[in-house]
Amino acid sequence: MAAPQVLPLPHGQIPITSHAFNADRSQVAVSLNSNDVTIFHRQGQEWAAGETLSEHDKLITSIDWAPNSNRIVTSSQDRNAYVWSLTPDPQTGTTIWKPTLVLLRINRAATFVRWSPNEDKFAVASGARAIAICSFDPEGDWWVSRLLKKPIRSTVLSLDWHPNNVLLAAGSADMKARVLSAYIKDVDKRPAPTVWGEKLPFNTICGEYTSPSGGWVHSVGFSPSGDVLAFTSHDSTISIVYPAHGPNAIHTIKLTHLPLVTLTWTREDEIIAAGHDCQPFVFRGGEAGWELAGTLDDNKHAGGGSTGVGGGRGFGAAGAGAGASPVGRLSSAAFTTFRNADTRGFASMASSPTSPGGSGGLPSAGGGGESEIFTLHQNTITEVRVYEGVPGDVRKVSTSGVDGKLVVWDVANVSPLGAAGLSGKLGGMHIR
Amino acid sequence: MDVNFRKIDIDQYDEDVLQEEELYEADPRDPAQVLNDAKAKVGAVRNALSKGDTVGAINLVLDGTPVGPNVEEAKNLNLQTLTSILNSTKASEIPAIVRSLSQDAQDTLMKYLYKGMALPGWGEVSGSVLLGWHEKLTEVAGTGCIVRAMTDRRTV
Repeated sequence: MAAPQVLPLPHGQIPITSHAFNADRSQVAVSLNSNDVTIFHRQGQEWAAGETLSEHDKLITSIDWAPNSNRIVTSSQDRNAYVWSLTPDPQTGTTIWKPTLVLLRINRAATFVRWSPNEDKFAVASGARAIAICSFDPEGDWWVSRLLKKPIRSTVLSLDWHPNNVLLAAGSADMKARVLSAYIKDVDKRPAPTVWGEKLPFNTICGEYTSPSGGWVHSVGFSPSGDVLAFTSHDSTISIVYPAHGPNAIHTIKLTHLPLVTLTWTREDEIIAAGHDCQPFVFRGGEAGWELAGTLDDNKHAGGGSTGVGGGRGFGAAGAGAGASPVGRLSSAAFTTFRNADTRGFASMASSPTSPGGSGGLPSAGGGGESEIFTLHQNTITEVRVYEGVPGDVRKVSTSGVDGKLVVWDVANVSPLGAAGLSGKLGGMHIR
Repeated sequence: MDVNFRKIDIDQYDEDVLQEEELYEADPRDPAQVLNDAKAKVGAVRNALSKGDTVGAINLVLDGTPVGPNVEEAKNLNLQTLTSILNSTKASEIPAIVRSLSQDAQDTLMKYLYKGMALPGWGEVSGSVLLGWHEKLTEVAGTGCIVRAMTDRRTV
Protein backbone atom coordinates (compact mmCIF):
# COMPACT_ATOMS: atom_id res chain seq x y z
CA MET A 1 0.00 0.00 0.00
CA ALA A 2 2.75 2.36 -0.91
CA ALA A 3 1.98 5.94 -1.76
CA PRO A 4 2.38 6.99 -5.39
CA GLN A 5 5.94 7.78 -6.32
CA VAL A 6 6.79 10.66 -8.63
CA LEU A 7 9.96 9.82 -10.51
CA PRO A 8 12.37 12.77 -10.29
CA LEU A 9 13.09 13.14 -14.00
CA PRO A 10 15.34 16.13 -14.67
CA HIS A 11 13.36 17.60 -17.58
CA GLY A 12 11.15 20.05 -15.74
CA GLN A 13 7.52 20.35 -16.70
CA ILE A 14 7.68 19.56 -20.38
CA PRO A 15 4.71 17.36 -21.28
CA ILE A 16 5.37 13.66 -21.68
CA THR A 17 3.61 12.41 -24.80
CA SER A 18 4.52 8.78 -24.31
CA HIS A 19 6.71 6.65 -22.07
CA ALA A 20 8.11 3.13 -22.04
CA PHE A 21 10.30 1.43 -19.45
CA ASN A 22 12.90 -1.22 -20.20
CA ALA A 23 12.55 -4.73 -18.78
CA ASP A 24 14.16 -4.15 -15.36
CA ARG A 25 12.72 -0.61 -15.05
CA SER A 26 16.18 0.93 -14.73
CA GLN A 27 15.64 3.05 -17.82
CA VAL A 28 12.71 4.86 -19.34
CA ALA A 29 12.28 6.24 -22.85
CA VAL A 30 10.06 9.30 -23.07
CA SER A 31 8.87 11.61 -25.79
CA LEU A 32 8.98 15.13 -24.35
CA ASN A 33 6.46 16.63 -26.76
CA SER A 34 9.18 16.77 -29.42
CA ASN A 35 10.75 14.80 -32.25
CA ASP A 36 13.41 13.25 -30.00
CA VAL A 37 13.23 10.33 -27.64
CA THR A 38 15.07 10.91 -24.37
CA ILE A 39 16.26 7.93 -22.36
CA PHE A 40 16.56 8.50 -18.63
CA HIS A 41 18.39 6.02 -16.41
CA ARG A 42 18.25 5.45 -12.70
CA GLN A 43 21.23 6.56 -10.61
CA GLY A 44 20.49 5.62 -7.02
CA GLN A 45 17.54 7.78 -6.03
CA GLU A 46 18.02 10.14 -8.95
CA TRP A 47 17.35 9.87 -12.66
CA ALA A 48 19.76 11.23 -15.26
CA ALA A 49 19.31 11.97 -18.93
CA GLY A 50 21.17 9.54 -21.16
CA GLU A 51 21.13 9.06 -24.86
CA THR A 52 18.78 11.05 -27.12
CA LEU A 53 17.35 9.21 -30.09
CA SER A 54 17.13 11.75 -32.93
CA GLU A 55 15.92 10.61 -36.30
CA HIS A 56 12.29 11.65 -36.55
CA ASP A 57 11.56 15.13 -37.78
CA LYS A 58 8.09 15.57 -36.31
CA LEU A 59 6.46 14.89 -32.96
CA ILE A 60 6.93 11.38 -31.64
CA THR A 61 3.51 10.00 -30.86
CA SER A 62 4.27 6.66 -29.25
CA ILE A 63 7.12 4.53 -27.91
CA ASP A 64 7.31 0.86 -27.04
CA TRP A 65 10.26 -0.98 -25.50
CA ALA A 66 10.35 -4.74 -26.06
CA PRO A 67 11.34 -6.34 -22.74
CA ASN A 68 13.03 -9.49 -24.06
CA SER A 69 14.71 -8.41 -27.28
CA ASN A 70 15.53 -4.98 -25.78
CA ARG A 71 14.51 -3.05 -28.86
CA ILE A 72 12.65 0.25 -28.95
CA VAL A 73 10.12 1.14 -31.61
CA THR A 74 8.94 4.71 -32.14
CA SER A 75 6.18 6.22 -34.27
CA SER A 76 5.91 9.83 -35.33
CA GLN A 77 3.80 12.38 -37.11
CA ASP A 78 6.47 12.35 -39.83
CA ARG A 79 4.74 9.14 -41.05
CA ASN A 80 7.68 6.96 -40.09
CA ALA A 81 8.54 4.36 -37.53
CA TYR A 82 12.03 3.37 -36.43
CA VAL A 83 13.24 0.27 -34.65
CA TRP A 84 16.17 1.08 -32.37
CA SER A 85 18.62 -1.58 -31.23
CA LEU A 86 21.80 -1.41 -29.17
CA THR A 87 24.78 -1.79 -31.47
CA PRO A 88 28.52 -1.27 -30.91
CA ASP A 89 29.72 1.96 -32.47
CA PRO A 90 32.46 1.03 -35.00
CA GLN A 91 34.53 4.10 -34.07
CA THR A 92 34.37 4.24 -30.30
CA GLY A 93 33.36 0.70 -29.43
CA THR A 94 30.63 1.88 -27.06
CA THR A 95 27.12 0.64 -27.58
CA ILE A 96 24.66 3.10 -29.04
CA TRP A 97 21.03 2.96 -30.14
CA LYS A 98 20.98 2.45 -33.89
CA PRO A 99 17.80 3.23 -35.85
CA THR A 100 16.38 1.11 -38.64
CA LEU A 101 13.76 2.75 -40.81
CA VAL A 102 10.55 0.81 -41.29
CA LEU A 103 8.77 0.98 -44.62
CA LEU A 104 5.28 1.79 -43.41
CA ARG A 105 3.71 2.88 -46.71
CA ILE A 106 1.29 5.31 -45.05
CA ASN A 107 0.66 8.91 -46.11
CA ARG A 108 -0.50 10.31 -42.78
CA ALA A 109 0.91 10.51 -39.27
CA ALA A 110 1.77 7.36 -37.36
CA THR A 111 -0.17 7.66 -34.13
CA PHE A 112 0.53 4.60 -31.99
CA VAL A 113 2.90 1.63 -31.91
CA ARG A 114 3.09 -1.62 -29.95
CA TRP A 115 5.28 -4.72 -30.09
CA SER A 116 3.41 -8.00 -30.30
CA PRO A 117 3.76 -10.27 -27.25
CA ASN A 118 6.38 -12.44 -29.02
CA GLU A 119 8.23 -9.31 -30.17
CA ASP A 120 8.50 -10.65 -33.71
CA LYS A 121 5.96 -8.14 -35.08
CA PHE A 122 4.73 -4.71 -34.24
CA ALA A 123 1.68 -2.74 -35.22
CA VAL A 124 1.64 0.95 -36.16
CA ALA A 125 -1.63 2.87 -36.13
CA SER A 126 -1.99 5.83 -38.43
CA GLY A 127 -4.11 8.68 -39.70
CA ALA A 128 -4.20 7.01 -43.11
CA ARG A 129 -7.15 4.85 -42.01
CA ALA A 130 -4.79 1.92 -41.78
CA ILE A 131 -2.73 -0.14 -39.39
CA ALA A 132 0.69 -1.30 -40.56
CA ILE A 133 1.63 -4.76 -39.31
CA CYS A 134 5.41 -4.95 -39.50
CA SER A 135 7.57 -8.05 -39.46
CA PHE A 136 11.26 -8.57 -40.08
CA ASP A 137 12.45 -9.79 -43.45
CA PRO A 138 15.86 -11.39 -42.87
CA GLU A 139 16.68 -11.54 -46.59
CA GLY A 140 16.16 -7.86 -47.20
CA ASP A 141 17.41 -7.10 -43.65
CA TRP A 142 14.59 -4.67 -43.01
CA TRP A 143 11.12 -4.42 -41.52
CA VAL A 144 8.31 -4.84 -44.02
CA SER A 145 4.69 -3.95 -43.44
CA ARG A 146 1.30 -5.20 -44.48
CA LEU A 147 -1.63 -2.84 -44.12
CA LEU A 148 -4.91 -3.53 -42.35
CA LYS A 149 -7.29 -1.16 -44.13
CA LYS A 150 -10.82 -2.44 -44.21
CA PRO A 151 -13.15 -1.43 -42.68
CA ILE A 152 -11.35 1.43 -40.90
CA ARG A 153 -12.92 4.79 -41.78
CA SER A 154 -10.78 7.25 -39.88
CA THR A 155 -7.60 7.74 -37.88
CA VAL A 156 -6.63 4.83 -35.67
CA LEU A 157 -5.78 6.14 -32.20
CA SER A 158 -4.79 3.09 -30.20
CA LEU A 159 -3.89 -0.58 -30.43
CA ASP A 160 -3.52 -3.60 -28.21
CA TRP A 161 -2.26 -7.08 -28.98
CA HIS A 162 -4.06 -10.24 -27.94
CA PRO A 163 -1.84 -12.63 -25.97
CA ASN A 164 -1.92 -15.06 -28.93
CA ASN A 165 0.27 -12.72 -31.00
CA VAL A 166 -2.28 -12.74 -33.84
CA LEU A 167 -5.34 -10.72 -32.89
CA LEU A 168 -5.16 -6.96 -32.62
CA ALA A 169 -7.61 -4.49 -31.09
CA ALA A 170 -7.84 -1.02 -32.59
CA GLY A 171 -9.64 2.11 -31.42
CA SER A 172 -10.47 4.65 -34.06
CA ALA A 173 -11.82 8.18 -34.58
CA ASP A 174 -14.68 6.67 -36.58
CA MET A 175 -16.21 5.87 -33.16
CA LYS A 176 -15.47 2.16 -33.30
CA ALA A 177 -13.31 -0.32 -31.46
CA ARG A 178 -12.43 -3.30 -33.59
CA VAL A 179 -10.78 -6.67 -33.20
CA LEU A 180 -8.85 -7.70 -36.31
CA SER A 181 -6.54 -10.49 -37.30
CA ALA A 182 -2.91 -9.52 -37.90
CA TYR A 183 -1.83 -13.03 -38.87
CA ILE A 184 1.41 -13.07 -40.86
CA LYS A 185 2.08 -16.38 -42.57
CA ASP A 186 5.87 -16.40 -42.25
CA VAL A 187 5.88 -15.36 -38.61
CA ASP A 188 2.88 -16.89 -36.90
CA LYS A 189 1.86 -20.43 -36.30
CA ARG A 190 -1.80 -21.18 -36.84
CA PRO A 191 -3.50 -19.80 -33.73
CA ALA A 192 -5.77 -21.92 -31.58
CA PRO A 193 -9.46 -20.98 -31.77
CA THR A 194 -10.48 -18.18 -29.40
CA VAL A 195 -13.74 -16.54 -28.41
CA TRP A 196 -13.04 -14.09 -31.21
CA GLY A 197 -13.07 -16.69 -33.95
CA GLU A 198 -11.57 -19.89 -35.29
CA LYS A 199 -10.16 -19.20 -38.72
CA LEU A 200 -8.18 -16.01 -38.69
CA PRO A 201 -6.54 -15.05 -41.98
CA PHE A 202 -5.02 -11.57 -42.24
CA ASN A 203 -7.58 -8.75 -41.92
CA THR A 204 -10.42 -10.91 -40.57
CA ILE A 205 -12.80 -8.65 -38.66
CA CYS A 206 -13.69 -10.42 -35.44
CA GLY A 207 -15.75 -7.68 -33.85
CA GLU A 208 -16.80 -4.07 -34.18
CA TYR A 209 -18.07 -2.16 -31.17
CA THR A 210 -19.24 1.32 -30.30
CA SER A 211 -20.53 2.97 -27.17
CA PRO A 212 -24.15 4.23 -27.25
CA SER A 213 -23.21 7.90 -27.36
CA GLY A 214 -20.27 7.47 -29.73
CA GLY A 215 -17.07 9.44 -29.54
CA TRP A 216 -13.52 8.74 -30.69
CA VAL A 217 -12.22 5.52 -29.21
CA HIS A 218 -9.11 6.68 -27.36
CA SER A 219 -7.83 3.39 -26.02
CA VAL A 220 -8.39 -0.34 -26.24
CA GLY A 221 -7.17 -3.27 -24.21
CA PHE A 222 -7.53 -7.04 -24.11
CA SER A 223 -7.94 -8.63 -20.70
CA PRO A 224 -5.04 -10.83 -19.54
CA SER A 225 -6.80 -13.92 -20.89
CA GLY A 226 -7.58 -12.15 -24.15
CA ASP A 227 -11.24 -13.14 -23.88
CA VAL A 228 -12.56 -9.69 -22.95
CA LEU A 229 -12.04 -6.30 -24.58
CA ALA A 230 -12.24 -2.90 -22.90
CA PHE A 231 -12.29 0.45 -24.65
CA THR A 232 -12.70 4.07 -23.60
CA SER A 233 -14.16 6.76 -25.78
CA HIS A 234 -14.56 10.51 -25.84
CA ASP A 235 -18.12 10.38 -24.51
CA SER A 236 -16.64 9.73 -21.04
CA THR A 237 -17.50 6.08 -21.09
CA ILE A 238 -15.63 2.84 -20.67
CA SER A 239 -17.09 -0.25 -22.30
CA ILE A 240 -16.25 -3.87 -21.62
CA VAL A 241 -17.09 -6.43 -24.30
CA TYR A 242 -17.73 -10.12 -23.66
CA PRO A 243 -17.82 -11.75 -27.09
CA ALA A 244 -18.41 -15.17 -25.56
CA HIS A 245 -21.62 -14.07 -23.86
CA GLY A 246 -24.41 -13.68 -26.33
CA PRO A 247 -24.49 -11.44 -29.34
CA ASN A 248 -22.15 -8.59 -28.55
CA ALA A 249 -22.79 -8.24 -24.85
CA ILE A 250 -21.30 -4.90 -23.79
CA HIS A 251 -21.17 -3.28 -20.37
CA THR A 252 -20.91 0.49 -20.65
CA ILE A 253 -20.20 2.75 -17.70
CA LYS A 254 -21.07 6.39 -18.18
CA LEU A 255 -18.75 8.49 -16.09
CA THR A 256 -19.51 11.79 -14.45
CA HIS A 257 -15.90 12.77 -15.17
CA LEU A 258 -13.98 13.90 -18.21
CA PRO A 259 -13.04 11.33 -20.87
CA LEU A 260 -10.49 8.57 -20.34
CA VAL A 261 -7.72 8.35 -22.93
CA THR A 262 -5.66 5.39 -21.76
CA LEU A 263 -6.29 2.09 -20.00
CA THR A 264 -4.53 -1.02 -18.83
CA TRP A 265 -5.81 -4.28 -17.34
CA THR A 266 -4.26 -5.25 -14.02
CA ARG A 267 -6.26 -8.42 -13.40
CA GLU A 268 -8.97 -10.30 -15.23
CA ASP A 269 -11.46 -8.35 -13.09
CA GLU A 270 -9.74 -4.97 -12.81
CA ILE A 271 -8.88 -2.11 -15.17
CA ILE A 272 -7.00 1.12 -14.51
CA ALA A 273 -7.95 3.97 -16.83
CA ALA A 274 -6.97 7.63 -16.86
CA GLY A 275 -7.24 10.75 -18.97
CA HIS A 276 -8.48 14.29 -18.85
CA ASP A 277 -9.56 14.02 -15.21
CA CYS A 278 -5.87 13.76 -14.21
CA GLN A 279 -6.26 10.70 -12.00
CA PRO A 280 -6.14 6.92 -12.56
CA PHE A 281 -9.58 5.39 -12.01
CA VAL A 282 -10.05 1.78 -10.95
CA PHE A 283 -12.83 -0.29 -12.52
CA ARG A 284 -13.79 -3.70 -11.22
CA GLY A 285 -16.26 -6.29 -12.38
CA GLY A 286 -16.90 -9.38 -14.40
CA GLU A 287 -19.41 -10.97 -16.70
CA ALA A 288 -22.30 -9.80 -14.53
CA GLY A 289 -21.37 -6.14 -14.62
CA TRP A 290 -18.70 -3.55 -14.02
CA GLU A 291 -18.42 -0.55 -11.75
CA LEU A 292 -16.16 2.33 -10.95
CA ALA A 293 -14.48 1.16 -7.74
CA GLY A 294 -12.35 4.18 -6.91
CA THR A 295 -9.22 6.05 -7.80
CA LEU A 296 -5.52 5.51 -7.15
CA ASP A 297 -5.23 9.20 -6.36
CA ASP A 298 -6.39 10.20 -2.88
CA ASN A 299 -7.12 13.73 -4.18
CA LYS A 300 -5.22 15.35 -1.34
CA HIS A 301 -2.55 17.09 -3.32
CA ALA A 302 -3.97 20.57 -2.97
CA GLY A 303 -1.54 23.28 -3.87
CA GLY A 304 1.46 21.03 -3.99
CA GLY A 305 3.69 24.08 -3.97
CA SER A 306 6.64 22.05 -5.10
CA THR A 307 5.16 21.72 -8.53
CA GLY A 308 5.37 25.49 -8.79
CA VAL A 309 4.41 25.15 -12.40
CA GLY A 310 6.11 28.12 -13.94
CA GLY A 311 3.86 30.63 -12.25
CA GLY A 312 4.54 33.39 -14.70
CA ARG A 313 4.04 31.73 -18.03
CA GLY A 314 0.80 32.73 -19.61
CA PHE A 315 -0.07 35.31 -16.99
CA GLY A 316 2.34 37.89 -18.27
CA ALA A 317 0.04 39.15 -20.95
CA ALA A 318 -2.79 39.66 -18.50
CA GLY A 319 -0.58 41.67 -16.20
CA ALA A 320 0.69 43.88 -18.97
CA GLY A 321 -2.79 44.50 -20.28
CA ALA A 322 -4.09 45.54 -16.89
CA GLY A 323 -1.26 47.93 -16.35
CA ALA A 324 -1.40 49.69 -19.67
CA SER A 325 -5.11 50.19 -20.17
CA PRO A 326 -7.70 48.29 -18.19
CA VAL A 327 -9.93 47.52 -21.13
CA GLY A 328 -13.38 46.39 -20.08
CA ARG A 329 -13.80 42.72 -19.37
CA LEU A 330 -10.29 41.83 -20.46
CA SER A 331 -8.96 43.05 -17.15
CA SER A 332 -11.76 41.78 -14.97
CA ALA A 333 -10.98 39.37 -12.19
CA ALA A 334 -13.42 36.81 -13.51
CA PHE A 335 -11.87 36.83 -16.94
CA THR A 336 -8.41 36.32 -15.50
CA THR A 337 -9.59 33.53 -13.26
CA PHE A 338 -11.15 31.69 -16.16
CA ARG A 339 -8.18 32.26 -18.38
CA ASN A 340 -5.79 30.91 -15.78
CA ALA A 341 -8.02 27.97 -15.13
CA ASP A 342 -8.12 27.34 -18.85
CA THR A 343 -4.46 27.70 -19.69
CA ARG A 344 -2.80 26.34 -16.58
CA GLY A 345 -5.44 24.57 -14.57
CA PHE A 346 -5.04 27.27 -11.93
CA ALA A 347 -7.61 29.40 -10.19
CA SER A 348 -6.00 31.55 -7.58
CA MET A 349 -4.56 34.41 -9.56
CA ALA A 350 -7.54 36.69 -9.55
CA SER A 351 -5.85 39.48 -7.65
CA SER A 352 -2.55 39.35 -9.45
CA PRO A 353 -3.01 41.46 -12.57
CA THR A 354 -3.32 44.60 -10.52
CA SER A 355 0.41 44.60 -9.98
CA PRO A 356 1.48 48.21 -10.38
CA GLY A 357 2.98 49.19 -13.66
CA GLY A 358 2.37 45.83 -15.12
CA SER A 359 5.28 46.47 -17.42
CA GLY A 360 7.08 43.22 -17.06
CA GLY A 361 4.13 40.91 -16.84
CA LEU A 362 4.84 38.18 -14.28
CA PRO A 363 2.36 39.18 -11.59
CA SER A 364 3.54 37.81 -8.27
CA ALA A 365 4.17 34.39 -9.66
CA GLY A 366 5.66 33.20 -6.39
CA GLY A 367 2.68 34.17 -4.27
CA GLY A 368 -0.04 32.65 -6.40
CA GLY A 369 1.04 29.36 -7.85
CA GLU A 370 -1.51 27.36 -5.88
CA SER A 371 -3.07 24.51 -7.67
CA GLU A 372 -6.78 24.29 -8.19
CA ILE A 373 -6.98 20.57 -8.74
CA PHE A 374 -6.27 18.17 -5.95
CA THR A 375 -4.86 15.33 -7.98
CA LEU A 376 -1.19 14.42 -8.13
CA HIS A 377 -1.07 14.88 -11.89
CA GLN A 378 -1.81 18.51 -12.62
CA ASN A 379 -2.89 17.91 -16.19
CA THR A 380 -4.18 15.21 -18.54
CA ILE A 381 -2.67 11.76 -18.14
CA THR A 382 -1.37 10.66 -21.53
CA GLU A 383 -0.53 7.04 -20.89
CA VAL A 384 -0.93 4.37 -18.22
CA ARG A 385 1.24 1.25 -18.47
CA VAL A 386 2.12 -1.81 -16.46
CA TYR A 387 5.12 -1.18 -14.22
CA GLU A 388 5.39 -4.21 -11.96
CA GLY A 389 3.82 -7.65 -12.04
CA VAL A 390 2.78 -10.15 -14.67
CA PRO A 391 -0.32 -10.12 -16.87
CA GLY A 392 -3.25 -10.99 -14.63
CA ASP A 393 -1.44 -9.94 -11.47
CA VAL A 394 -0.16 -6.41 -11.99
CA ARG A 395 0.91 -4.70 -8.77
CA LYS A 396 2.10 -1.31 -10.01
CA VAL A 397 1.33 0.91 -12.97
CA SER A 398 3.07 4.00 -14.30
CA THR A 399 1.40 7.12 -15.70
CA SER A 400 2.80 10.01 -17.69
CA GLY A 401 1.11 13.37 -18.06
CA VAL A 402 0.94 16.65 -19.87
CA ASP A 403 2.22 18.14 -16.60
CA GLY A 404 5.55 16.41 -17.26
CA LYS A 405 5.21 13.99 -14.36
CA LEU A 406 5.94 10.30 -14.47
CA VAL A 407 4.30 8.54 -11.53
CA VAL A 408 4.36 4.95 -10.28
CA TRP A 409 1.19 3.82 -8.47
CA ASP A 410 0.49 0.83 -6.25
CA VAL A 411 -2.72 -0.65 -7.65
CA ALA A 412 -3.78 -1.95 -4.22
CA ASN A 413 -3.93 1.61 -2.91
CA VAL A 414 -7.47 2.44 -4.01
CA SER A 415 -9.29 5.45 -2.54
CA PRO A 416 -13.05 5.75 -2.69
CA LEU A 417 -14.37 8.50 -4.89
CA GLY A 418 -15.33 11.89 -3.54
CA ALA A 419 -18.31 12.93 -1.53
CA ALA A 420 -20.71 13.58 -4.35
CA GLY A 421 -21.37 9.89 -4.65
CA LEU A 422 -22.06 10.41 -8.29
CA SER A 423 -19.87 7.65 -9.47
CA GLY A 424 -19.73 3.98 -9.01
CA LYS A 425 -22.95 3.42 -10.80
CA LEU A 426 -23.24 0.05 -12.41
CA GLY A 427 -22.83 0.13 -16.11
CA GLY A 428 -26.03 -0.70 -17.87
CA MET A 429 -25.80 -3.57 -20.26
CA HIS A 430 -26.95 -3.00 -23.77
CA ILE A 431 -27.35 -5.57 -26.47
CA ARG A 432 -26.98 -4.35 -29.97
CA MET B 1 -1.82 35.37 -40.02
CA ASP B 2 -3.95 34.26 -42.90
CA VAL B 3 -6.32 31.60 -41.66
CA ASN B 4 -8.54 31.28 -44.70
CA PHE B 5 -6.84 28.06 -45.68
CA ARG B 6 -8.65 26.49 -42.77
CA LYS B 7 -11.95 27.08 -44.51
CA ILE B 8 -11.01 25.12 -47.63
CA ASP B 9 -13.12 21.99 -47.87
CA ILE B 10 -10.33 19.47 -48.29
CA ASP B 11 -12.81 16.61 -48.27
CA GLN B 12 -13.84 17.48 -51.81
CA TYR B 13 -10.49 16.15 -52.99
CA ASP B 14 -10.99 12.87 -51.18
CA GLU B 15 -12.82 10.15 -53.05
CA ASP B 16 -13.59 8.20 -49.92
CA VAL B 17 -14.92 10.73 -47.43
CA LEU B 18 -16.23 9.62 -44.08
CA GLN B 19 -19.89 10.58 -44.09
CA GLU B 20 -21.77 11.90 -41.09
CA GLU B 21 -24.31 9.07 -41.38
CA GLU B 22 -21.59 6.48 -40.86
CA LEU B 23 -20.89 7.74 -37.38
CA TYR B 24 -24.12 6.72 -35.69
CA GLU B 25 -27.08 4.45 -36.15
CA ALA B 26 -29.95 6.29 -37.76
CA ASP B 27 -33.44 6.45 -36.31
CA PRO B 28 -35.33 3.57 -37.96
CA ARG B 29 -38.59 5.54 -37.96
CA ASP B 30 -39.96 7.40 -40.95
CA PRO B 31 -39.67 11.24 -40.64
CA ALA B 32 -43.47 11.62 -40.84
CA GLN B 33 -43.86 9.05 -38.11
CA VAL B 34 -41.32 10.90 -35.96
CA LEU B 35 -43.30 14.11 -36.34
CA ASN B 36 -46.53 12.36 -35.43
CA ASP B 37 -44.88 10.90 -32.35
CA ALA B 38 -43.67 14.35 -31.32
CA LYS B 39 -47.14 15.82 -31.83
CA ALA B 40 -48.71 13.05 -29.81
CA LYS B 41 -46.38 13.88 -26.95
CA VAL B 42 -47.58 17.47 -26.68
CA GLY B 43 -50.98 16.38 -25.41
CA ALA B 44 -49.61 13.63 -23.19
CA VAL B 45 -47.15 16.04 -21.61
CA ARG B 46 -49.87 18.62 -20.99
CA ASN B 47 -51.94 15.93 -19.40
CA ALA B 48 -49.10 14.86 -17.10
CA LEU B 49 -48.31 18.47 -16.16
CA SER B 50 -51.92 19.15 -15.25
CA LYS B 51 -51.70 16.27 -12.79
CA GLY B 52 -48.51 17.75 -11.36
CA ASP B 53 -46.40 14.85 -12.64
CA THR B 54 -43.33 16.79 -13.84
CA VAL B 55 -41.01 13.78 -13.78
CA GLY B 56 -43.42 11.78 -15.89
CA ALA B 57 -43.76 14.66 -18.34
CA ILE B 58 -40.00 15.04 -18.70
CA ASN B 59 -39.50 11.34 -19.23
CA LEU B 60 -42.18 11.40 -21.93
CA VAL B 61 -40.32 14.10 -23.84
CA LEU B 62 -36.87 12.59 -23.37
CA ASP B 63 -37.92 9.12 -24.52
CA GLY B 64 -37.62 8.40 -28.23
CA THR B 65 -36.46 11.90 -29.09
CA PRO B 66 -36.15 12.80 -32.77
CA VAL B 67 -32.51 12.68 -33.86
CA GLY B 68 -30.59 12.87 -37.09
CA PRO B 69 -31.37 14.62 -40.37
CA ASN B 70 -34.79 15.33 -41.97
CA VAL B 71 -36.72 15.70 -38.74
CA GLU B 72 -36.13 19.39 -37.98
CA GLU B 73 -39.82 20.10 -37.41
CA ALA B 74 -40.19 17.29 -34.91
CA LYS B 75 -36.97 18.36 -33.17
CA ASN B 76 -38.20 21.91 -32.71
CA LEU B 77 -41.59 20.77 -31.53
CA ASN B 78 -40.00 18.47 -28.97
CA LEU B 79 -37.75 21.26 -27.75
CA GLN B 80 -40.76 23.53 -27.29
CA THR B 81 -42.62 20.82 -25.40
CA LEU B 82 -39.63 20.30 -23.14
CA THR B 83 -39.14 24.03 -22.58
CA SER B 84 -42.75 24.37 -21.50
CA ILE B 85 -42.02 21.86 -18.75
CA LEU B 86 -38.71 23.46 -17.77
CA ASN B 87 -40.32 26.90 -17.56
CA SER B 88 -43.16 25.72 -15.36
CA THR B 89 -40.99 23.90 -12.82
CA LYS B 90 -40.14 25.56 -9.52
CA ALA B 91 -36.41 26.03 -9.03
CA SER B 92 -36.53 24.20 -5.70
CA GLU B 93 -37.89 21.08 -7.36
CA ILE B 94 -35.23 20.81 -10.05
CA PRO B 95 -32.55 18.88 -8.09
CA ALA B 96 -34.93 16.07 -7.13
CA ILE B 97 -36.29 15.80 -10.67
CA VAL B 98 -32.82 15.67 -12.20
CA ARG B 99 -31.73 12.98 -9.76
CA SER B 100 -34.72 10.82 -10.60
CA LEU B 101 -33.85 10.70 -14.31
CA SER B 102 -31.91 7.81 -15.83
CA GLN B 103 -28.41 8.52 -17.09
CA ASP B 104 -29.63 8.34 -20.68
CA ALA B 105 -32.39 10.83 -19.94
CA GLN B 106 -29.90 13.14 -18.21
CA ASP B 107 -27.68 13.10 -21.29
CA THR B 108 -30.64 13.88 -23.55
CA LEU B 109 -31.79 16.69 -21.28
CA MET B 110 -28.31 18.19 -21.41
CA LYS B 111 -28.44 18.11 -25.22
CA TYR B 112 -31.70 20.06 -25.19
CA LEU B 113 -30.34 22.61 -22.72
CA TYR B 114 -27.41 23.32 -25.03
CA LYS B 115 -29.67 23.42 -28.05
CA GLY B 116 -31.93 25.92 -26.33
CA MET B 117 -29.01 28.11 -25.34
CA ALA B 118 -27.66 28.01 -28.89
CA LEU B 119 -30.86 29.19 -30.58
CA PRO B 120 -30.87 32.88 -31.52
CA GLY B 121 -33.18 34.91 -29.31
CA TRP B 122 -33.72 32.18 -26.76
CA GLY B 123 -31.20 33.67 -24.40
CA GLU B 124 -33.51 36.51 -23.45
CA VAL B 125 -36.61 34.34 -23.19
CA SER B 126 -35.50 31.36 -21.19
CA GLY B 127 -31.76 31.80 -20.74
CA SER B 128 -31.88 31.95 -16.96
CA VAL B 129 -34.19 28.94 -16.78
CA LEU B 130 -31.89 26.88 -18.99
CA LEU B 131 -28.84 27.94 -17.00
CA GLY B 132 -30.60 27.02 -13.75
CA TRP B 133 -31.35 23.54 -15.05
CA HIS B 134 -27.84 23.25 -16.45
CA GLU B 135 -26.34 24.01 -13.06
CA LYS B 136 -28.44 21.44 -11.22
CA LEU B 137 -27.97 18.82 -13.91
CA THR B 138 -24.19 19.27 -13.88
CA GLU B 139 -24.13 18.89 -10.09
CA VAL B 140 -25.75 15.48 -10.45
CA ALA B 141 -24.44 14.15 -13.74
CA GLY B 142 -21.03 15.83 -13.78
CA THR B 143 -18.85 17.03 -16.60
CA GLY B 144 -19.17 13.63 -18.23
CA CYS B 145 -22.76 14.46 -19.08
CA ILE B 146 -21.69 17.69 -20.79
CA VAL B 147 -19.00 15.83 -22.72
CA ARG B 148 -21.60 13.33 -23.93
CA ALA B 149 -23.94 16.12 -25.03
CA MET B 150 -21.11 17.55 -27.12
CA THR B 151 -19.78 14.24 -28.43
CA ASP B 152 -22.95 12.44 -29.37
CA ARG B 153 -23.69 12.69 -33.09
CA ARG B 154 -27.35 11.92 -32.46
CA THR B 155 -28.16 15.60 -32.17
CA VAL B 156 -31.57 16.57 -30.89
